Amino acid sequence: MTLFEQQQNEFSGRHIGPREAEISSMLEKIGINSLDELINQTIPASIRLKEPMQTGGPMSEFEYLSSLKKIAAQNKVFRSYIGQGYYNNITPSVILRNVFENPGWYTQYTPYQAEIAQGRLESLLNFQTMVCDLTGLPIANASLLDEGTAAAEAMSMLFNHKNKDHDHISAPKFFVDENIFEQTKDVLLTRATPIGVELVIGNYQTVVLDEQYFGALLQYPDKNGVIADYRSFINAAHAQHAQVVMATDLLALCLLTPPGELGADIAIGNAQRLGVPMGFGGPHAAFFATKDEFKRNIPGRIIGVSVDAKGNRCLRMALQTREQHIRREKATSNICTAQALLANMAAMYTIYHGAEGLKKIATRTSLLAQQLSQQLKAIGYNNENSFYFDTIRVAMDSIDVLKKMQKPTKSISAIKRTMF
Amino acid sequence: MISLDETTTQQNIQDILKVFASVNKAEIKASSALSVTMLDNIPSALTRTSSYLTHPVFNSHRSETQMMRYLKYLENKDLSLNTSMISLGSCTMKLNAATQLIPVSWPAFNSIHPLAPADQWKGYQQIIRELEQWLSNITGFAATSLQPNSGAQGEYAGLLTIRAYHADRNEAHRNIILIPISAHGTNPASAVMAGFKVVVTKCDEAGNIDVEDLKAHAEKHKDQLAGLMVTYPSTHGVFEESIKEICDLIHANGGLVYMDGANMNAQVGLTSPGNIGADVCHLNLHKTFAIPHGGGGPGMGPICVNDKLAPYLPGHVALKNSTKAIHAVSAAPYGSASILLISYAYIKMLGAQGMKRSTEIAILNANYMKARLHKDFKILYAGKNGTCAHEFIVDLRPFKQTAGIEAEDVAKRLMDYNFHAPTLSFPVAGTIMIEPTESEDKAELDRFCDALLQIRKEIAQIEAGQSDKSDNPLKNAPHTQQEIAASDWSHPYSRQEAVFPLDYVAHQKFWPSVNRVNNTYGDRNLVCTCEPVSSYADA
Repeated sequence: MTLFEQQQNEFSGRHIGPREAEISSMLEKIGINSLDELINQTIPASIRLKEPMQTGGPMSEFEYLSSLKKIAAQNKVFRSYIGQGYYNNITPSVILRNVFENPGWYTQYTPYQAEIAQGRLESLLNFQTMVCDLTGLPIANASLLDEGTAAAEAMSMLFNHKNKDHDHISAPKFFVDENIFEQTKDVLLTRATPIGVELVIGNYQTVVLDEQYFGALLQYPDKNGVIADYRSFINAAHAQHAQVVMATDLLALCLLTPPGELGADIAIGNAQRLGVPMGFGGPHAAFFATKDEFKRNIPGRIIGVSVDAKGNRCLRMALQTREQHIRREKATSNICTAQALLANMAAMYTIYHGAEGLKKIATRTSLLAQQLSQQLKAIGYNNENSFYFDTIRVAMDSIDVLKKMQKPTKSISAIKRTMF
Repeated sequence: MISLDETTTQQNIQDILKVFASVNKAEIKASSALSVTMLDNIPSALTRTSSYLTHPVFNSHRSETQMMRYLKYLENKDLSLNTSMISLGSCTMKLNAATQLIPVSWPAFNSIHPLAPADQWKGYQQIIRELEQWLSNITGFAATSLQPNSGAQGEYAGLLTIRAYHADRNEAHRNIILIPISAHGTNPASAVMAGFKVVVTKCDEAGNIDVEDLKAHAEKHKDQLAGLMVTYPSTHGVFEESIKEICDLIHANGGLVYMDGANMNAQVGLTSPGNIGADVCHLNLHKTFAIPHGGGGPGMGPICVNDKLAPYLPGHVALKNSTKAIHAVSAAPYGSASILLISYAYIKMLGAQGMKRSTEIAILNANYMKARLHKDFKILYAGKNGTCAHEFIVDLRPFKQTAGIEAEDVAKRLMDYNFHAPTLSFPVAGTIMIEPTESEDKAELDRFCDALLQIRKEIAQIEAGQSDKSDNPLKNAPHTQQEIAASDWSHPYSRQEAVFPLDYVAHQKFWPSVNRVNNTYGDRNLVCTCEPVSSYADA
C-alpha cells in the first residue's frame, strides 16, 4: 500500500484492537498458523462468499467527514411548522454535550447488571416519575420505540387483558378516533390484524361502543390541534367495560388536565419535544403510563426501587419475569430494545427546567399560537379549532394560497406540506 | 395546519402572517403574544390544576453547574465502554467511533422533520439509498427496509413479509413457524405477534439444530408451514455445517427461512444470509454496525430480503409504496433515521476489506480467549474443528455442586475486577457467553481472562475448604467503597482480596455503587417512581 492508500485505510486500524504482532502471538496461543486457517476451520467452505462485498469506502475519518458535509448540504433545514408528533425544541447544551455526545452515557448496555448501572437507572426512574406526573397516571415504563409502537402496545395489552382465552375472543374491537396522527393509524393497521383485533376507525362523538369493544384510542390534543373534553366518551367506554388509551403530548399536559384525571386508563405518546432533536424521525423515546391494575402487564422495561444486600436503597429493572426471555411464545410483546438514551435526555430536560420552566415553555408556545390565530383572524383567516395548544388549523380557500406557495420563501417553506 | 413549538419566535409569527397577507392583500395589524389574553385557547374545564414534578430532583438542578455535576455524578456510577470491555455475547459491544457519531448532532441531519417535503431531505435520500444497497449486498439480498427501530421489530416486520408472501399466493393457511429451542426469546414472541403458531424444535447435544427433528416437524406440517426462524451462527456461537441443508428442507416444504441477524458480526465479508439460503434477515445496526447501545436503546433493526419478499417490505403513509407493501411497523418512514448515519460511516470508513478484517478479528479474539480459558473452564459447544465463531459459552454449572457457586456469583464478582459480566444464562442457564468483538486489543482480552482465571482460583479455594462456603468474595460480590472503608470488616478474606484482587485493578478501580441487588424484594414491593425524600431517611 502506498502512503495514500494507507491513509484511506487508516480507520480499520482505529476500529480493530489487536496489532499485527499481537495477532501472531494470539494465533500461536490458539495453535493455528494463520488467520486464514482459523477462518477456514471455523466457517464451512460450502457457505463462504465467492465474491468480495461491494460497498463504499474505505475512507479516512477526515475524508469521510468532508464528503459527508457535501451530502449534508443537500438537506435543507427550514423552520418546520409540521408538528404531528415531532417538534423543534431546544436541547440544552449541557445535556447535548454531557449526555447525547458523551460515551459515558451512550455506550452502556441495557442495565441488566444493576450494581454497575445505578446512574442511568436513576435517570430512567426520573423519566418514569416525570411521565407519571405529567400524565396523571401512577405507573410508567422506561420508554418504548415510538408513538405508533406505544399505541400498538397499548392496544395489545388491553386486548390480552380482556380476552384471556384467545380461542374465545369476546371483545375483538378497538375503536380508533379518526383524528389521531396518520402514522399511528398506519402502525395500528399493521399490528391489529395478525393478533385478531378488529380496528374500527371513526369519530369519537358519534361512535356507539358496545360490549364487543375492549378499548379505544383518542389523541389529546388531536392531529388537527383540537383540545376536546373526552370525559363523557371515557365514561361511556367504561360503562361497556372498554378501556381508553389517550395519545398525548407531555408539553401540552403542563397546561391541560392530564389523562389520568380525565379517567383514561393508558396514556402514550412521544417524549421527543422534551429536548430531543427531530432527527428525521428518531431516535426518540415514546412513553407509556397506566393505572396500577395493569402494572404487571405493561410492555417494555420498568425500573423499580429495591434494596441491596446491605439493605440500602438501589434500583434495577423490575418484573423481568414478564419478559420474552422467560415467557417466549407466551409473551404478549416482543419489546426488547427501548430508547434509554433519549428517555434520559427527556428526563434531564425536565429536571433542568423543572415544573415552572416547563410551564413557561408551554405557555409561551401557546401564547404565540394564540397571537397567530388572532392576527390571522384580523386579516381574514379564521382557524377551525377554537381550543388548541400549539397547533391551529386555518380555514381558507386553499387554491390561491397553494399557488402562492409554489415558490415559498425559505422561512415558511415547511408550512406548505401540511396545508394540503 | 400550523404547529408552533419551543423555538418559535415573534418574528416567525410575522413571517407566517406575511404569507397569508400576500395572498389576500391584507394589511397586518401589529400585535404581540404579550398583548393577547392569557390563554383563552385552552378550555377552562381542561385547564390543569394539579401540580407536577414536585420531587426535589426536579427542583434542585437549575444552574448549569448543578446540572453538569448531577450528570457526572450519575455517569460515574455506570460502567461503560470508556471503562472496560463489555463482552456481552450476542450483543456485539464494539467501538462506537466518535467520527461515526459526530454528524448525528449536525443540524443538517438532526433538525429535519420526518414528514418534511422530499426536496428538503435529498442528503438523507442519498444516505438511505446507499445504505440500503450496501446492506443488501452485505447480506446477499435484493432489497432492504430501514424502517424497523429494533431487532425485535425487524423480526416482526420480516415475519409479516413472509405472511404477506403466502397470503399473496393464496396460501394464507401457512401459519406455522418452526423455531429451534436455542433461539432468542424475542423470536417466538415476534412470531406470535405476527399471527403465527410456534412449533419448537430440538437441538442436539452439541447445541446444533437437530436436523432429524426439524425434518420431522417440517414434513408433518408441510401444508401449514410458513417458515423457520434460525440464528446463524447459532446462539451457541457455532457455524452449523447443516445450515444449507436446513434451508433447503424448509423450502422443499413450502416455507421460507427467516435468519436472525444478531450474530451477523461473525458473517460480514465471509458469508451471508442470502448465500446460506435464507429469504429474509434483520440486522441489529446497534450490534454489527456500530450504533451505540445507549444504555438500553436506541437501536435499529433493518430487514433485508430476497426478490420473493421485496414487494412486501413495509410502506408508510408518508411515502409512495409498492401496492403489495405491508403497513408501517414504525411511526417514522425510515425509523430512527439520524442514527443510520453511524452505520453509514462504519461501512464507508472501513470499506469491504476493513469489514471483512473486522469479522476475522472478532473470530480471532473469541478463539484466543477460549484458548486461554479452556483448561480451567468447560467451554460448551464448538465447531467440528474445535473453534468457535465470534463468541463462546463458559459453563459455570459444575461449581454449584463443588462450591455452591452460581453463574450470578461469577457475574457479580467480575464487577470487583472492573468488568461487566458477559451474557448471563443465555442461551444456556448457568453459563456465561463471551463476545469480545474485534475492537478489543490483546491486553484487554488478557485482563479479562486473568480476572476469570483468578475467580476460578477463588472457587478452587472454596472447593478445597480453604474459603468459607457462604462468606467468600464471590458470594459477597460486588464490594463497595463504603464497606471497604468501614471500620468493621468481618469477612474471613482481606479487604485487598475483596476489591484489588489483581494488580491492574488497583491501578484503575471502578467502584460498583451498591452491593448486590435484591430483585425479589423490589418485585414484591413495587415502587417505580422517585420515592418521597422521607423514605430515604428511613432506609
